[in-house]
Amino acid sequence: MGTFAVRTEGLRKEYGDIVAVRDLCLGVPSGCIYGLIGPNGSGKTTAIKVLMGLVRATSGTAEVLGRTVPMKGKDGRVSYMPQELALYTDLTVHENAQLFAELNGVSPDEFLEREREVLEVVGLWERKGDLVGQLSGGMQHRASLACAMVNKPSLMFLDEPTVGVDPELRSGFWEHFRSLKAQGMTVVLTTHYMDEASRCDLVGMMHKGRLIAEGTPAELLEDAGRNNLEDAFRVFIVRCRE
Amino acid sequence: MNSRRMLAITKKVLRSLRHDRRTAAFLVLMPIFMIAIFGYTFGGEVEDVEVYIVDLDEGLGPADLSDLVIARLQGGDSLRILEVIRPSSGIADPVGYGREKVESGNAWGCIVFPADFAANALTFSPGNSTAADAATVTMFLDGSNLNIVQTVTSTVRSALSSVMVEDLGFVQPVNAVPDLVYGEGRDFLDTFAPGVISLAVMMVTFMISIISFIHERTTGTLARLLSTPVTESEVVLGYAMAFGLIGLVQSAVVMATALLLFGVQVEGSLALVLLTVFLLGVGMQGLGFLLSANARTEFQAVQFIPIILFPSILLSGVFWPLESVPELLRPVSYLLPLTYAVDGARSVMVRGWGLEEIWPDLAILLIFAAAMLALSIVLMRRR
Repeated sequence: MGTFAVRTEGLRKEYGDIVAVRDLCLGVPSGCIYGLIGPNGSGKTTAIKVLMGLVRATSGTAEVLGRTVPMKGKDGRVSYMPQELALYTDLTVHENAQLFAELNGVSPDEFLEREREVLEVVGLWERKGDLVGQLSGGMQHRASLACAMVNKPSLMFLDEPTVGVDPELRSGFWEHFRSLKAQGMTVVLTTHYMDEASRCDLVGMMHKGRLIAEGTPAELLEDAGRNNLEDAFRVFIVRCRE
Repeated sequence: MNSRRMLAITKKVLRSLRHDRRTAAFLVLMPIFMIAIFGYTFGGEVEDVEVYIVDLDEGLGPADLSDLVIARLQGGDSLRILEVIRPSSGIADPVGYGREKVESGNAWGCIVFPADFAANALTFSPGNSTAADAATVTMFLDGSNLNIVQTVTSTVRSALSSVMVEDLGFVQPVNAVPDLVYGEGRDFLDTFAPGVISLAVMMVTFMISIISFIHERTTGTLARLLSTPVTESEVVLGYAMAFGLIGLVQSAVVMATALLLFGVQVEGSLALVLLTVFLLGVGMQGLGFLLSANARTEFQAVQFIPIILFPSILLSGVFWPLESVPELLRPVSYLLPLTYAVDGARSVMVRGWGLEEIWPDLAILLIFAAAMLALSIVLMRRR
C-alpha cells in the first residue's frame, strides 16, 4: 500500500449547534487526484480548512503529508486555493505570485523560473504586469491557481477550482491537474459538478458533513448500480438514511 | 520568526499603495491639509469686531481721556468702530441707541464712556477713593460668542491701561510680568504643530489599518496568507513595519511643511520627534488591527473610527491643555496614546527636551504599541 498524503480519523467540526463535518475518515493516497464532491453546505470547504490548519477541529485527528494537523510551522509543501479569489486585487499578477512564493520560502532565483512556468500554464504570462483587479473573472481565477502552484507544492487543496470557469478553460485546468499528478503531486479538490468527479482518480462523496461513499468513479458506479455519478450519489444518500 | 516572510508582508502593503495613487496621495496630502487648515484657523486672531462707541465724557481741564482711549482702539486691528456717538450727534438717548444696536444684531458691542469718566480717572486716589469713585467704562456685549466677548473686553482693558501708563505716565501699583522659561518668541503655530503632526499620523495609520485588515479578512486573503508558512506574528509585524514607515514618511512631510511653509521652529532633535510619531503610528495600527478583528463587515469596522478619533482630538491636548478637560474625563485623556505623543513631541519641539526628559512618554507609547501588537497576534491565533 502506498503512503497517504492526507489521513483523517473521526474528524469533526462544530460551529455552535451546527455540525459542519461529522466523523470524517478520509485517506488520500499520495500522487492521486482526489475529488471531494457534494452539494453546497455538505462540509467540503470546512474539511479542507481544517486540513489546512485554518480552523481547529472539534475532535478527531488529521495528518497531512505525515504531519499532524494543525501543524506547528508549515513548510510550504502544501498549498491552498480558496473558493473565493483571495488575491490582492491592488497588486499585479506578478506581485501576487512573488508574495506567495516568498511566503512559501521559494528562493528569488527559483521564483524567476517557477513564475514563468505557472503563468504560462494558466495563460497569463503576457498579463503578469496587470493588476489582478483589472483582469476578467476567469483570468483572476487562473491567477489564483497560479499562485497556489508557484511554490511547487507536494499537495494542493483546491476548493471549487472550476466554479465560474468556462468549459474550455475548465478542460484546460483538468489537463493541468493531470500533469501535476504526473509530476507526483497530490491534488485534493472539491466540486459540486458530478461530471468533474468522474475525472478524479478517487472520489469521496459528502452529504451533511458525512462521507457517505468513497472509491474510484468506476467502483462507485458499480456499487450503486447506476451509470452516472449523480444518480449514484442519490443512491448513497438513500442508503445512508436507511 | 522569519524576517524574509515578514518583509514580504511589508513589501505587499507598500506595493498596494504604489498602485493606489489616490490613497498614497491621501496619506501625504491629508496631514499637510490638516496642518494648513488648523494652522490658519487656530493661528488667526479675532479681528474687526464691529462695535459702537458712546462717548459722553466731559473731560477734565484740557485732558479728554476718552479720546485717547478711542484713538488707541482705532489704532488696533481687533475692533472696527462703526460710529462714535457724542452728545453733539443730536441723539436723544445715546446709551439706549447704542444698546439697541447690539440688541438688533447690528454690532457685537457698544462701549460707553460716562460723563465723569476723565474726572473720576484723574482724581482717583488709591487708598482714599472707593470703588464707586472709579472711572468705569460700560460694555454692552452680545454674549452669543464668547470669543468675541473676550476679545472686546481684553482690547478695551488693555487700551485703558496703555493710556494710563504710556500716555499719562501713571504707575500701576501692582503688576504681573511673564518671563517665559520655554517658548520665548514662539507663536501659536509652534506650540500647535507637534499636536497636529501626531494627530495626522494617528488618524491615517488607524484608519488605513482598520480598513485594510477588515478587507484582508472579508476577501479571504488573510486565510490564504495563513495557509502558507507565514506565522501570525510575521503578518502582524510585517504590517506594523509598513505602517510605521508610512507614519515616518508622513511626519517627515508634515514637518517639512510646518518648517518651510509656516516657519515653525524646532528646539530639540527632529529624530526624536520622528521616533515618537513612529511609535504612535505602530501602536495605532495595532489598535486598528485589534478593533477590525471585532467587526464582521467593513461597515462595522468604520464605526470604530469616530469612537477613537473624537476623544483623541478633544481630550489629548492637541488643541486644548489637559487642564481644561473636565476631571471626570481626565482618565480618558490618560488612556489615549495620542496624549503621550503630543506631550513628547511638543516637549522636544518647543522646550527642546531630549530623551532624558521625554522617556516616560516614549516608554508608554512603546508599551502601548507592544501590547496592541501582542494582542493582535493572540487574537489572530485564536481564530
